[in-house]
Amino acid sequence: MNRHQLGEFEEIVMLTVGILYKEAYGVAIIDEIEARQNRKVSIGALQTVLRRLEDKGYLTSEFGEATNVRGGKRKRYFSLTSLGSRILRETQEQRVEMFKAIPRMAFPKP
Amino acid sequence: MNSIPHIQPPKFFLRFFRWFCDPAIVEDIEGDLTEMFAREIDDGNITKAKIQFSVRILGLFRPGIVKKIGCPSLFNHSSPMFKNYFITSVRSLVRSAGFSTINIVGLAVGLATFSLIAFYVYSELSFDRYHVKADRIFRIVENLRTENEELFQSTSSPPMGPRFLKDFPEVENYVRLQQWSLLAQRNDISSYERESYIADSTVFDIFSFNLVKGDKKTALREPFSIVLTESMAKKYFGNEEPVGQTLKMDYDNYKVTGVMEDVPENSHFRFSNLISFSTWSRNNKDNEDRAWFWNGFHTYVLVREGASVDNVRAKMKDFLKRNVEKGGMYYEDLPLQPLSSIYMAAPRSWENGTRGSMNNIYILSIIAVFILLIACFNYINLATARASRRLKEVGLRKTLGALRRMLIAQFLGESLIITLVASILAVGLVWISLPSFRGLVESQLSFSVLPNVWYVAGIMIGLVLLIGLLAGAYPAYIISQFQPVQIFRSSTKGIFGHNGMRKVLVSMQFIISIMLVAGTLLVYDQLDVVRNQDLGFTKKGVIVVPTNGDTAIVNYLDAVKNELKRIPGVVHASGSTSTPGQSAGNNYTEIEMTDGKMSPTNINFIYADHDFLSTYEIKLLAGRDFQRDVKSDDTTAYLINETAIKDFGWTPEQALGKKVRGRQGGKIIGVMKDFNYRSLHTKVEPLMVAMTTYVGRMSIRLEGTDLPTTIANVKTKWNELIPYLPFDYSFVDVEFDRQYKADQQLGKVAGVFTGLSMFIGCLGLLGLTAFVVERRTKEIGIRKVLGASIPSVVLLITREFIWLIVIALAIATPLTWYFITRWEQNFTLQAVINPLRFVMAGTVVFLIAWLTISVLSIRAANANPTKSLRME
Repeated sequence: MNRHQLGEFEEIVMLTVGILYKEAYGVAIIDEIEARQNRKVSIGALQTVLRRLEDKGYLTSEFGEATNVRGGKRKRYFSLTSLGSRILRETQEQRVEMFKAIPRMAFPKP
Repeated sequence: MNSIPHIQPPKFFLRFFRWFCDPAIVEDIEGDLTEMFAREIDDGNITKAKIQFSVRILGLFRPGIVKKIGCPSLFNHSSPMFKNYFITSVRSLVRSAGFSTINIVGLAVGLATFSLIAFYVYSELSFDRYHVKADRIFRIVENLRTENEELFQSTSSPPMGPRFLKDFPEVENYVRLQQWSLLAQRNDISSYERESYIADSTVFDIFSFNLVKGDKKTALREPFSIVLTESMAKKYFGNEEPVGQTLKMDYDNYKVTGVMEDVPENSHFRFSNLISFSTWSRNNKDNEDRAWFWNGFHTYVLVREGASVDNVRAKMKDFLKRNVEKGGMYYEDLPLQPLSSIYMAAPRSWENGTRGSMNNIYILSIIAVFILLIACFNYINLATARASRRLKEVGLRKTLGALRRMLIAQFLGESLIITLVASILAVGLVWISLPSFRGLVESQLSFSVLPNVWYVAGIMIGLVLLIGLLAGAYPAYIISQFQPVQIFRSSTKGIFGHNGMRKVLVSMQFIISIMLVAGTLLVYDQLDVVRNQDLGFTKKGVIVVPTNGDTAIVNYLDAVKNELKRIPGVVHASGSTSTPGQSAGNNYTEIEMTDGKMSPTNINFIYADHDFLSTYEIKLLAGRDFQRDVKSDDTTAYLINETAIKDFGWTPEQALGKKVRGRQGGKIIGVMKDFNYRSLHTKVEPLMVAMTTYVGRMSIRLEGTDLPTTIANVKTKWNELIPYLPFDYSFVDVEFDRQYKADQQLGKVAGVFTGLSMFIGCLGLLGLTAFVVERRTKEIGIRKVLGASIPSVVLLITREFIWLIVIALAIATPLTWYFITRWEQNFTLQAVINPLRFVMAGTVVFLIAWLTISVLSIRAANANPTKSLRME
């Protein structure tokens, strides 16, 4: 389990890649995170995390078509691998388990 | 989105990004960047878009995006191997710990001695450079021509400075200094202040001496004003406030007007106090203005900023013509010595303060470089010799695709590691040996002399790199040259072609060693000659006590001498203005020539009493000594020395009765045999002795074996007769020998460093022998099985080295001969170079080398052959 620990930002990136499904490339991921989470995302931080997740085998990527807008550079679309989605799910379950384990008394009264 | 296609993202940053980014991901990220840039352009703010773009690229410069190290590129190709190189280097160093130790210790000792000598040389060369205006300060010195000779003096006459200021617009200021030796007295402390100087009040404007108390404008204005250095102030006033108090010096009371910091060690002249110039000039107005031929002062001039000294020099002939009337002797030239060059310049007559020796600096620098070279050669020899140990590694690396430059980098790195370790050790060695080194060179060597820390650190790092590269280059070149095919073939013969190089290096080490040993022996020979030379007087057993013209002694000279002579062990006593080994005054005098005309000349003078010649055992060639019963001797009798009459072309007999007109009229009554009244570095100059009642120094000749008791008795008597005058005696022979301090130091220092260089050389030799023995273990075993005797086996190993020593001796001899002959030119009397010294040096080096080699080879020869042959 420990080997598959995800960082907070890693988790969000993976979730976003999942959300965008076939449209998950750099700029789109940034826009999506910024929109949903209301936080600034630097391309440097994002790209490093993308490569790291890809190295770990949680994400995979392929080039799309070249477009004029991007100065003729192709987009790289990311998608979850089966390992990636399993890790994501495990992380999710872990969180839920832990959340459930909190005794009711611990929550301050509203 | 194509609406504004002509706006491009900042080119520089884009190019930078393309350069650092991992090529595998460069395309899509660049696409992202361009897309975001285009979007922001559409928003309208072009500048903001560009800034954002650049900021993003800088944000991308992080691990994970930057090219993976190890990608085939010119810049980074070998980086991942560095770790591996480092590990293999350290492993091989540890595996052959003995050889590594030899290398490291050798290099450490070499670096340490080099640093120490460099420190010393630097501090010697730093003299007087601390003055802020140093590059604009010059000393006026004089080249004088008399009828017979040219005199080079460091001093100049009193009107010289003021006239320079008046005549040369380039000159901004001047200061005149004259050394006085005064007896300072306060309460119960009385002691001679031999380094007192009178100085113009401008001294603080020209030199960077820091006045701690007092006003530098007025401190030296009034007569009998005195500025003390801090240490002198402490000596006489303790914790009292000195400024405003009076201090008695000789017969006058001086008012303390200021306190200054002590004069730094690296000053060509140092003093304990400064006395106002007006103290002297108020009674000598006439001399100050007109005594053009009285060269009693050291004059320093300050040249205006931006003005050229050459301009002043160009007008010098004119200046002399205008100002100085001829008087038989005339000014040939007035050179201007740059302040910072004075310490190392060839000494002129009447120098103030101490002088260094450029010769010694050269010699020491050469020794330092030699020692470092020997240490480097050790490394080169051992590294190439042991290359065979690394062959498999090199072969493997090459087979796996290592480029030659990668191997070179590896082995250079290895030598850098060794040098680095050695340099750390060297720092420790320097730290430990600095106190004794200070004693050896008799110099304070304070760190304050050095420039700032970073500068020194930079130089040290540079040195380490240089040595590392110097030592590592050749082995790296050799090792990286091996062909894998050759390496893996069973016979490794043929790849040791660098044997020749090793021989060259070893013989160079021997050459250096022999040169140092022979050189040191010859330096000592020369010093012996100097010490034992017939000076024309007997320096042994004479003590000198300064009296500074004390009136009691002057008035009762004969009585004091008689009292002293009654003490057992005291043979003679004599008063004089100056004594041999010190210096002699110099006076304008006219002497009658053979044709009856009076010829003007500038001649050195010692004024003495009746007993001077007998006290110093100076011989007469003709005529007579001063006699008590000839009353006129007191004022009209002159003795002259051999050199002087040779200059005039007289025989001793011809000289007698010649008329002399100087301070008083008179005639020559005797001719003295030449005696070295100054130093062996300078020739004996013409000298006259006349009588005086002024006694500057009292010479006492002692006899017998128990000198300390005799001296104690003299001291008791002295204190009884003249209680207020300190009995501050010194031995003439000691004082005379002190003139060769620099040379004696050279001898000592050369001796020590010769020893060190031998030590380093031997370390290398030891390593090399160990290696040879190791490689030939089997051969030795087989030879022994076949009946070889132990001596023949030892000879087998040592033979090679013996040849090298013979060759080295042949090369070192003429080189040393040449250098020593040149060095001996510094002395008036040169030792004959004894060829036996070279034989001795050769033998010494040979013996030490042979011992070093034998230790290992005898062990190898004694080893049981079964052991060496069994292992397979």
